[in-house]
Amino acid sequence: MLLAVLIANSEGNILVERFNGVPAEERLHWRSFLVKLGADNLKGVKNEELLVASHKSVYIVYTVLGDVSTFVVGKDEYDELALAEAIFVITSALKDVCGKPPTERLFLDKYGKICLCLDEIVWKGLLENTDKERIKRLVRLKPPTEF
Amino acid sequence: MAQPLVKKDDDRDDEAEYSPFLGIEKGAVLQEARVFNDPQLDARRCSQVITKLLYLLNQGETFTKVEATEVFFSVTKLFQSRDIGLRRMVYLIIKELSPSADEVIIVTSSLMKDMNSRTDMYRANAIRVLCRITDGTLLTQIERYLKQAIVDKNPVVASAALVSGIHLLQTNPEIVKRWSNEVQEAIQSRAALVQFHALALLHQIRQNDRLAVSKLVTSLTKGTVRSPLAQCLLIRYTSQVIRESGVNTQTGDRPFYDYLEGCLRHKAEMVIFEAARAITELSGVTTRELTPAITVLQLFLSSSKPVLRFAAVRTLNKVAMTHPMAVTNCNIDMESLISDQNRSIATLAITTLLKTGNESSVDRLMKQITNFMSDIADEFKIVVVEAIRSLCLKFPLKYRSLMNFLSNILREEGGFEYKKAIVDSIVILIRDIPDAKESGLLHLCEFIEDCEFTYLSTQILHFLGNEGPKTSDPSKYIRYIYNRVILENATVRASAVSTLAKFGAMIDSLKPRIFILLRRCLFDNDDEVRDRATLYLNTLGGDGAVVETDKDVKEFLFGSLDIPLTNMETSLKNYNPSEEPFDIDSVPKEVKSQPLAEKKAPGKKPTGLGAPPTVPTSAADAYERLLSSIPEFASFGKLFKSSAPVELTEAETEYAVNVVKHIFDRHVVFHYNCTNTIPEQLLENVSVIVDASEAEEFSEVGSKPLKSLPYDTPGQTFVAFEKPEGVPAVGKFSNMLRFTVKEVDPSTGEAEDDGVEDEYQLEDFEVVAADYMVKVGVSNFRNAWESMVPDFERIDEYGLGPRESLAESVNTVINLLGMQPCEGTEVVPTNSRSHSCLLSGLYIGNVKVLVRLSFGIDASKEVAMKLAVRSEDENVSDAIHEIVASG
Repeated sequence: MLLAVLIANSEGNILVERFNGVPAEERLHWRSFLVKLGADNLKGVKNEELLVASHKSVYIVYTVLGDVSTFVVGKDEYDELALAEAIFVITSALKDVCGKPPTERLFLDKYGKICLCLDEIVWKGLLENTDKERIKRLVRLKPPTEF
Repeated sequence: MAQPLVKKDDDRDDEAEYSPFLGIEKGAVLQEARVFNDPQLDARRCSQVITKLLYLLNQGETFTKVEATEVFFSVTKLFQSRDIGLRRMVYLIIKELSPSADEVIIVTSSLMKDMNSRTDMYRANAIRVLCRITDGTLLTQIERYLKQAIVDKNPVVASAALVSGIHLLQTNPEIVKRWSNEVQEAIQSRAALVQFHALALLHQIRQNDRLAVSKLVTSLTKGTVRSPLAQCLLIRYTSQVIRESGVNTQTGDRPFYDYLEGCLRHKAEMVIFEAARAITELSGVTTRELTPAITVLQLFLSSSKPVLRFAAVRTLNKVAMTHPMAVTNCNIDMESLISDQNRSIATLAITTLLKTGNESSVDRLMKQITNFMSDIADEFKIVVVEAIRSLCLKFPLKYRSLMNFLSNILREEGGFEYKKAIVDSIVILIRDIPDAKESGLLHLCEFIEDCEFTYLSTQILHFLGNEGPKTSDPSKYIRYIYNRVILENATVRASAVSTLAKFGAMIDSLKPRIFILLRRCLFDNDDEVRDRATLYLNTLGGDGAVVETDKDVKEFLFGSLDIPLTNMETSLKNYNPSEEPFDIDSVPKEVKSQPLAEKKAPGKKPTGLGAPPTVPTSAADAYERLLSSIPEFASFGKLFKSSAPVELTEAETEYAVNVVKHIFDRHVVFHYNCTNTIPEQLLENVSVIVDASEAEEFSEVGSKPLKSLPYDTPGQTFVAFEKPEGVPAVGKFSNMLRFTVKEVDPSTGEAEDDGVEDEYQLEDFEVVAADYMVKVGVSNFRNAWESMVPDFERIDEYGLGPRESLAESVNTVINLLGMQPCEGTEVVPTNSRSHSCLLSGLYIGNVKVLVRLSFGIDASKEVAMKLAVRSEDENVSDAIHEIVASG
């Protein structure tokens, strides 16, 4: 299960937060844990360089793109490698929607589109689409090109 | 819930950086949502409002039931718009609002219409939304469409239906299971993701049908799998099939191994790792099978991507637990990871190295770790401390550098859990490695000089009181202990007083000086400290002169309470303060029966101070005291050994009975622990009738029946046998529980007057040679072996015949002899063809025995063994050979 996708700005303020199968009372804990993890490790990291951590039996892969940092959390079959795949799709979609590594302002301007992309990529904790070209079309309700 | 700390609430000066959501407020957005009701819909504006709603929801904002319903109803109006972008947003916001069952009906018809739309993308999205908000009844109505969608030629529609199936399987399994034909067809799809989702769903549908899963795996491993994700799933399912099928006994081949090995050369890293993990987790994996997987993992250790390094070191860390030798080739690469920027990777590398390192590399490793420890978090440090503890137990000769390391980190900053882990480790090392005792105790003394944790200080003081007096120069600890009386809080002071008293009781020459210190404590401002000091001054007696302390006093100071603490607590709570003092003898000694699950829990790992080291001996003490208090058995002399309880009944039967075998020089006593689990019964005159016809050397000499066995209160009955002196007689005993049963009225708890005699068959048990051997370890086997004269050494060779494996043979011989394996030699590296095992023990008559076993196995699995025994008595050396020869 892909337990969480969280996107924050460079100060650790949450921009997008989507949990799957995480009890409401644990979410706050996860949020602060991830934000702290980012604050401790993401300084000076290159765009899209993936970082990894594990906390008990849960894996976390995170990265930075422009002004935003993205975290994905998973367990069981969503181990560090599957998460790396998921975060790769998410960052490609972000770049695609924003046209470049986004500033916070740009990210918020494209907020609606980004939500749609995330909706196509992760559905209730399962990875659904992985191809950015297809995602680009799907959010505009266009059928995939290869079809 | 919105948190001010993290909520986006930006007030920067730069206008360009203003957030489009600046000052966003739920009430205002809900107002804005009224545009959804406009007769002339402004699609753009509606999309913006939906985006704001999404933003609020994504920030953790919640809507009340009324708010959510109102927004949901307005949103449904938007289905009238033909704007595609808006429609996509509508699908999303409906899912996010997750309307309640009674509201769903409003959108069902619109969504059903979209589901049959000619626009593919409407279909796909409508499926996702409907499946998210639907319940069982609606699902039967749309099932037909979903089945069609699964085989839709548009991959997005098919994937939407398949992923919906995966979710719906949790809530409506019987419906989704009917789709397996369609899902099966979807697996053949040319679209990579459709295949991936179909494979996941089909496996979930059929996961309990082994044959079906096996067929699925067989066909797919031969065919084409189009996406790395699907390939990973297939590898996982393949390992499941391998686990369930086992090795082909004729050829020694493992089915599907070639497939897994082939996946190691896949172009996707994800697949390579999945295959490598699957191979390393195969049960009974051989070195030949393991090597290619380890090789690819080793390559990834030096990858530039942290995720790959992490994945590799995590997998190797797991392998090191079961096959440390297989990982040693990677040690050099792993050492370079100690300085990895990513602390998770560095910690995994260190703990792996600690598992795979050999004796000669310990010092170098410790040097590297010391630098690393200062900049990792406590949770990682605890993992390292635990790894060092097991390393030290594995290489006892290296205790000096490891103990130094532990004492150094004990001085540094750290939280309670971390400090406790270190202290526990030092205590375990002191207990298991006698040579490490003095230095370990001094390290602990230094630690309590500056310890901020009361709990740890009191535990260490207690431990010091038990172990300190047995050292060569006990007086050097007094200073540290008395410092606590001067400097610490009342709890620690009271503990220190008890510890001082223990030194006074054990070391007669120190007694006068201890008395002076204890007298000073009489003026403490805490009453507990004063009370303890008064108590000890009176009990130690002798008025401070150098006299031997009474045996009873020592018993009082060092003996266990001998009463279950819960019983003590209940009795004290029930005691009414009165003229009559509290009588400790009135506290019942019976232990309430533990739940079976707890009783059968696998061996607990040593927990340092938490579980005092005296547990095994105090159990033996308790048995000894119990048996000597029974007049019939009082003349049997000193108890040599008590076995672990052997269950004589299955779990959850009417009566639970186990037996403990107590071995004396000329007698054995069977101690039956009985529990009556039927509330409506009272058992009386409970005894066990033992048939010893298959134990010729034993003759029954007495028994002690149990008068009454009420519900859920354990009771004991005993049967004693005589046997030839000093001879390890063996035999089999069959048992029958005999009793009078009386009905109990559950409402009043009163038993009827008349009872019926009844019997209950128990299982048989045996007295074996190992019952005459006490496991006693030695810290340095070579020294112990060489210090024992070789005159009584007996060497012989044995053919053990064809065996399952070398490890199994070693284990069998260890269990047969009942001796303590030393220096970790009971662990046999996989696939080794020969192995040496060192054992030590104390044989009946208190004769020290050391054993060297050398095993060899040939291609046909024939095992040969050389057994060398040294003991203090040649008869015992011969007896050990007889045990093996007859076993």
